[in-house]
Amino acid sequence: MSTIKRRIFLCLVGLLAGLAAWPAAEITLLFQADFPSYLVFSIFLGAVFGIFIGAFFGSGDGIIMSHRRSIVTGVTRGLAIGALGGAIGFLVGQGALFLTGEYLIHSMRRFNTVGLPVSRAIGWAVLGVFLGMVDGVRSRSWNKIRIGIIGGVTGGFVGGLALEYFRIVFSETVFARLLGLLLFGLFIGLFYGFVEVRLSYGVLTLLNGRFKGKEFLINQKRLGIGEQEKNEIKLEGYRDVSERHALVRVKKDDVFISRVEGARLYVNDDPVDEHMLKYEDVIKIGSAKLLYQYK
Amino acid sequence: MKTGRIRILSAALAALLAPWAGARAESVRISQIDPSMLLFNQNVKAYVSVTDDAGAPVKNIGRNRFTVYESADGNNFKRIPKIKDFRAMVNYRDGINFLLLIDNSGSMYLNVKQRLTRNPADTKFSHAKSAVSTFLKSMANPRDRVGLASYNSYYQSLSDPISDKEKIQGLLGRIGKPVGDEGYTEIYASLCRAVDEFRSVKGRKAILILSDGENRPYYRYTGKPHSDYGTKIFAYTEPIRDCQQEGISVFAINFGRAGERRDTHLKDIALRTGGAVFDAGNGRELARVYSKIADQIQNEYLITYPATMDPADRKYVKIEYASRRGPIQAVRFYFSSTVFGLPLKGFSFLLLLPFLLALILLWLLSMIRFERKKGAASIEVMNPGQARAVTRAFTLNKGRTVIGSSPGANMTIAGGVSRIKEKHATITFDTRKKRYTIVGDGDIKINNKRVKTKVLESGDVINVGGTTIVFDDGEVD
Repeated sequence: MSTIKRRIFLCLVGLLAGLAAWPAAEITLLFQADFPSYLVFSIFLGAVFGIFIGAFFGSGDGIIMSHRRSIVTGVTRGLAIGALGGAIGFLVGQGALFLTGEYLIHSMRRFNTVGLPVSRAIGWAVLGVFLGMVDGVRSRSWNKIRIGIIGGVTGGFVGGLALEYFRIVFSETVFARLLGLLLFGLFIGLFYGFVEVRLSYGVLTLLNGRFKGKEFLINQKRLGIGEQEKNEIKLEGYRDVSERHALVRVKKDDVFISRVEGARLYVNDDPVDEHMLKYEDVIKIGSAKLLYQYK
Repeated sequence: MKTGRIRILSAALAALLAPWAGARAESVRISQIDPSMLLFNQNVKAYVSVTDDAGAPVKNIGRNRFTVYESADGNNFKRIPKIKDFRAMVNYRDGINFLLLIDNSGSMYLNVKQRLTRNPADTKFSHAKSAVSTFLKSMANPRDRVGLASYNSYYQSLSDPISDKEKIQGLLGRIGKPVGDEGYTEIYASLCRAVDEFRSVKGRKAILILSDGENRPYYRYTGKPHSDYGTKIFAYTEPIRDCQQEGISVFAINFGRAGERRDTHLKDIALRTGGAVFDAGNGRELARVYSKIADQIQNEYLITYPATMDPADRKYVKIEYASRRGPIQAVRFYFSSTVFGLPLKGFSFLLLLPFLLALILLWLLSMIRFERKKGAASIEVMNPGQARAVTRAFTLNKGRTVIGSSPGANMTIAGGVSRIKEKHATITFDTRKKRYTIVGDGDIKINNKRVKTKVLESGDVINVGGTTIVFDDGEVD
């Protein structure tokens, strides 16, 4: 998948995450009065919301790589980490909201039109920080965590503000929160898409064969290349690719590729054991060729 | 004549009953609500002050005389079944924030007998200044802060609350005599403005208003709209409401002569906000204004109770105090909104539709394989670099394919970081061996390596003058 397609795809995943989380959030809100305390309520609502965001974004990598097993493991891990991130995020976000809200409600004349939307957007942004991190924690990538935080903060703030003003303008609507959640998801997705390329250590693009044009971002310290499911860069449908063929590693800021025992690896048509990649190097693994670039 | 007699009689009766009534007329006030622990242990703390009609605190009240209610809309209150903790406050060490509000209307420049005077020291305004001096000197806690504002037809803020009392003293001298249309007295509007200015200040707050008690709204007396308030005439209940909401008590120092031109509503405002009225003529009492206010705060009650969970952006707290005359109440609110806000009005199964829709769409997305089928051999510009790639992609034929800057080339690329020849490179097809070979006339790199010629493999990257071109044999294995 090319960078543009990947961005669009991530935005779609974000929108779907928001769409799926909306009913769950609404149903939980209906029962607010039945919760014993704000603490339990915040943890529960945060966890429910986080589960959806985590699961949907967790499926993203697997779908992009057309990798069934990755989808399943991504969703499962996303669920768990999302629940945790959502619970913590909502709790801290609620704390921030109580603090700013209580301060502004007594000190601001235009509380309903400025104070409340801004306080709530701050709460959303904090929630976004934790939910944005979910996918990074899931794939154990510090870069992804950073990307997620930026996307989450922005998405949270913009989504929260949009929700509030939408509600002020269309007071009768039931869709204000849906709009907020969609924007929330969209922004997390958008930022993953826009920032992940910049914050990654480079991109490997397949140059030929069945999956020509597909891009693999080097956004983790270690990526396996091979035919098997467990590889982050799965080369399916290419000749002479071993189960685990090569390994991409990031040391400091340099990217190295090395072959696995018994496999053949070529960089720029020369056989290598280990090689530090430079711009536009062409890697040959079996019949597949990959181009290394960075932005 | 008859009405006059009735008036005198009722005044005498009121004077007789005053001590008895005074002992019993209590007011309750929530001076602060602290919901800072709400998220952690569901507790809300309310600081409550009960005062008699002289503004003196009522001490030693038991827990059972207080009842706490909460409401999500300000109308329907739910009784909180149990107060978690109740204590009388002692040792309030944080300072008090005062706002001194000085009447600077025309009538303040008359003497106390409401007559014109040539001696500036005889004016009520001059008395007001010395009352302020007495007050400032009596402030005992260095953490106390004082702000200053004056009012006539207009409200003028002179200083936010600061701890430098000498500066406030100095600012007093800067208040000039009213000129032109400044001679009216907007007491109620100015009190509302003062509450507004005071809103952002945290902690205990009190307004000390120095006035001769007349409310002479600009619009009513001139018929012209006020530049700040327009045609609105403030009722005395408005500052009462605002002060109660913000937990501010109003103490008034009255310069009016008893029974004459004296606005009884100023007394109402003071009493109903838990403050008191002092007589400007009474020097001894004036000196005790500060200690009276401080005493009130030292004798607050702290009530801790578990909050309700009803969804609301603001939660109203009502503290009911069983006074000897019957129950009296005070209401304040705190912020209780959640990140996602208020729930929808009702549940509908239609809500499940978006969830199903999202799942179906995600499933459809996962079905897309992004695979391609076998095609013809081609070359495609992957990254034009600084050059202008006139041709982006070209399907290779079985003959010769020319890459170069000439418009007649099969793939035309102009510009570039290094010069691109008209026929920079040629790809030929060997029909016998069924393979493509590239030969460079100009400088070319294949797979990041400078070469003259190479048999092309699928996925080879050709670099011509900084433009990268990918060769693909079209096979998908």
